Amino acid sequence: MLMRTPRTQLPFAPLLVLAIASALAVAQEPQAPVKPAPAQKPPAATPPANAEAGPGPGGDAEAGPRRPRRQAMVLEAGTVHPVAGPAIADGVVVIRGERIVAVGKKGEVEIPEGATVRSFPGGHLYPGLIDAQTDAFTDDGLRGDGSLDAGAAFADDLHVRGDREDALVEAGITTAYVTVRSPSQLRGQGAIVRPKAGGFELWTGKEHAGVELRMTNGLGPTHALQRQQQLDGLANTFDGLEDHRKAKSDHAEALKKYEKEYADYVAFFQKKKDAEKPKDGDGEKGDKGKDGEKPKDGDKNAPPTAPGTQPGGEPAPGERRRGPGGRRPGGPTGPGGGGPGDPKPNGGPTGPGGGDDDEVLLTALVDLLAVPQDPPKQEPGKPAPTPQPAGEKAPQAPEKQAPEKQGAEKKDDKKEEPPKRPTYPKAPGKDPQKDALLRVIDGEVPLRVEAHRADELRAALKLQQKAQVPVLVLEQAYGAAPLAGELAAQGVSVVLTEVLPNSLPEQYDAYDPTALPQQLQQAGVPFAIATGSARRAGILPLMAAAAVARGLDRDAALRAITLSAAEILGVAKDTGSLQAGKFADVLVTDRPLFASDCRVLFVASKGHPEYEAK
Amino acid sequence: MTSRLPIAFAAFFVCAATARAQDLLVQCKRLVVAPDTVLTDGRMLVQKGVVAYLGAEIPAEARANAKVVDCGDATVVPGFVLANTTLGQERDLAEGSIAFTPDLRAGEAFDPWQEDLGKAAAAGVTSLGLAPSPRNVAGGLLALVKPGAEHGELAAPDLHAQFSLVEAARNPERAPTSLMGAKELLRTTFQAARAGAQGGPDAAVLRQVAQGTRRAFVYADTYAELTAALDLAREFGFEPVLVGARDAEKLLPRLVQQKASVVLGPLVPEARQAVLALPTKLAEAGVPFAFGGRPEQLRLSAVLAVRAGLDRKTALGALTRVPARLLDQENALGVLRAGHAADFVVFGGDPLDLDSAHVATFVGGVLVRGKLPQPTRPVAPSPAAGGR
Repeated sequence: MLMRTPRTQLPFAPLLVLAIASALAVAQEPQAPVKPAPAQKPPAATPPANAEAGPGPGGDAEAGPRRPRRQAMVLEAGTVHPVAGPAIADGVVVIRGERIVAVGKKGEVEIPEGATVRSFPGGHLYPGLIDAQTDAFTDDGLRGDGSLDAGAAFADDLHVRGDREDALVEAGITTAYVTVRSPSQLRGQGAIVRPKAGGFELWTGKEHAGVELRMTNGLGPTHALQRQQQLDGLANTFDGLEDHRKAKSDHAEALKKYEKEYADYVAFFQKKKDAEKPKDGDGEKGDKGKDGEKPKDGDKNAPPTAPGTQPGGEPAPGERRRGPGGRRPGGPTGPGGGGPGDPKPNGGPTGPGGGDDDEVLLTALVDLLAVPQDPPKQEPGKPAPTPQPAGEKAPQAPEKQAPEKQGAEKKDDKKEEPPKRPTYPKAPGKDPQKDALLRVIDGEVPLRVEAHRADELRAALKLQQKAQVPVLVLEQAYGAAPLAGELAAQGVSVVLTEVLPNSLPEQYDAYDPTALPQQLQQAGVPFAIATGSARRAGILPLMAAAAVARGLDRDAALRAITLSAAEILGVAKDTGSLQAGKFADVLVTDRPLFASDCRVLFVASKGHPEYEAK
Repeated sequence: MTSRLPIAFAAFFVCAATARAQDLLVQCKRLVVAPDTVLTDGRMLVQKGVVAYLGAEIPAEARANAKVVDCGDATVVPGFVLANTTLGQERDLAEGSIAFTPDLRAGEAFDPWQEDLGKAAAAGVTSLGLAPSPRNVAGGLLALVKPGAEHGELAAPDLHAQFSLVEAARNPERAPTSLMGAKELLRTTFQAARAGAQGGPDAAVLRQVAQGTRRAFVYADTYAELTAALDLAREFGFEPVLVGARDAEKLLPRLVQQKASVVLGPLVPEARQAVLALPTKLAEAGVPFAFGGRPEQLRLSAVLAVRAGLDRKTALGALTRVPARLLDQENALGVLRAGHAADFVVFGGDPLDLDSAHVATFVGGVLVRGKLPQPTRPVAPSPAAGGR
């Protein structure tokens, strides 16, 4: 069974011990100013052999000294097929770094000085092919796993197989959507990868690129009524999601409320403690602070003291202020108020070894796990101010009050009732499947449904309407021809596999996958042609060719394995055609792509050569 | 050495077709007479279901009576020949209770109206070697069948003998149950037949094979099976046609030495690279081979072989000329030369490119599948180029 991401399942007790130990270690060191985390970059590909250092895409000039500009690469070919425009005879493509900078006719495009020129006089240059559905980089165990659900992410279980199924880039495929056709109903979340020489890399941001749902029994013996019953059952797939969403948002709200209440709770006792402190000049406040003052007995709700705090509530140098939400800091001032064995302040909870250890430890853990706020800018020499939860003002430094006023406050404190200690809100149960389906409902990822027969396809359309799924992609939609109009009306896309003559078994004799692309094109349904299997990587162009034989125009056929596929996968901004600004994913062949004996000569992915024919 | 189809039989299937055949003048951009002979702006005159003239040699008076079939930019190739198939009639082409039935005739189980014949024509197949099932060690005799506009025709009922050493022929419920048992069965029966110790039609078939007057098709896939088949062929002096031959690469020198031919199984995209590259290896070694499987698989097999490195001429030959020769029909089928049957297929382009659409299939000069291209211009004088 695919393991779920363990991020949300934490061993409680060991983590608490670890958290406390870490907090103790942290508190010993002066706090360094917190810098924003560097922007996450995609896994580094092997840099081009001729690349010089230079600011890459999204590079931050402020991050360091300016790097020299990367050397350009120029590809010349007998015919360049941009896909987004007409073919160009004697064309060139100029590449710098990972991106295309220019496409045009030789002589009309400026060639950068010092550029490396690769020339293919009789060759044909295309965008890297895009396989909109493959099972590459998966193993047989995953392919046959019937226990998968929508929470399973294939990206967590992809690996190089070490056989011919890895050879996607040698076939000219530079982008692929990976999924498996397992027996389970909700199969998991597909991922988009970039095949490379000897492996692949995940497309950043597209590790969860679709939720897979099976709405067909395939070739198994079945009749229409039986299928109808099964399909009706799937209509409830998206039920209960709003309850789950509400439970999560309710919890988020409750958490915010808890933070506020806890801040108030701590502030009450801090204020009370401040009021009880001796006047200035009575000795090292830091020493007293480290030992902590002993709160009065009887106040069961009072938090432990915050030793190390200075008059006015300022922490001692090197000590942390309260964490977000006014909780006790997770440092040495946290649990137990600074040391083991401290008596309860006013009868309240003590540190470790006290009578309410679990609650104290939990509070410390909450502090450590609290979402860090953006730290305010720090002036040199001054400690960082306490980060405050959103919406709350920073605590004001307590003002020095007149003695008569302090006395009056002390009288008030005796009368003032302490607030009740707030209860940490219970989090709703973790449900990665529902989280994934919520992302479908919110339009963040498409729902990809495998459905073959017309009644299965209708059920998928009905499901889309009922659940209001924004993006629906149908896979292996063999019986889509009579429904093409409805597919177009509902904005559905289709990924077709088995687009070869007589490729379907006898039970599907009525369907003709080679004729379907032309029928979908006529109806205005976006579609891609895909292999469906890594073993077919080498014949992706032949599948498009087979569709041409059945009436699909050549440009549309080429588009079906490049730009249209990119649009369906949501990566058309970056790949799928030869246009300035897009990734330099290119393929060079010795003759037109649809010729049976067409040979791949050169493949580059993000401007880096990944394959060259010997 | 091989059994020759009597001229009467050759005329039989031609005459049957010519009953409805009209003289045709076929014009196209590329006329593939044979894999190594291509006429550009080709013309072919068909009379009584037979190719009469090609190119510049077409007499004017002959043209006058012909219906023009202008195929425009299309490519016309000889009809594909499938050397060995059961046409989906496995059950009726295997006698399950007895393993040794060399004299049974597959033609006697032929159904002219079966749908698979229509599918064959749509796939460009114009002649098929209807064979017994490989489930019997000695299955029987092949027959030549052809699709027709309304129904198929039995062109030749008595062709070659078929034997089988594959796993399907080893049945735990009756002998032989093992490869060595199957081989021994064939050896002893061949020996008896050659010695004249046995009479009857089954022994007669074996004698003909041993004497070289009837070709032998032998199903064998693995190295052991192929070796057994070649051993028997050597021992009894015949040149086998090996059907399947999955491990043929391991025995190439011996195949060449014993002048064996091969009918390959269908190629599929998921096949191992070694399987996809086998046609190329056979071609390089000089072993004649044809593509096999179901009729609708033939073209894709050839395309996949080309993609794996086989040259186009050899691939087209494996669809046409070579299987015709394996069936001893090279004087009637497999090429578009004068005197050959007017079995041809019209494609939008090169049939070995999948983007070429199938347009029409003609058998004996009669359209059996597809649409007849409409004549668009009057008959023009023949160009200087061309020949038979």
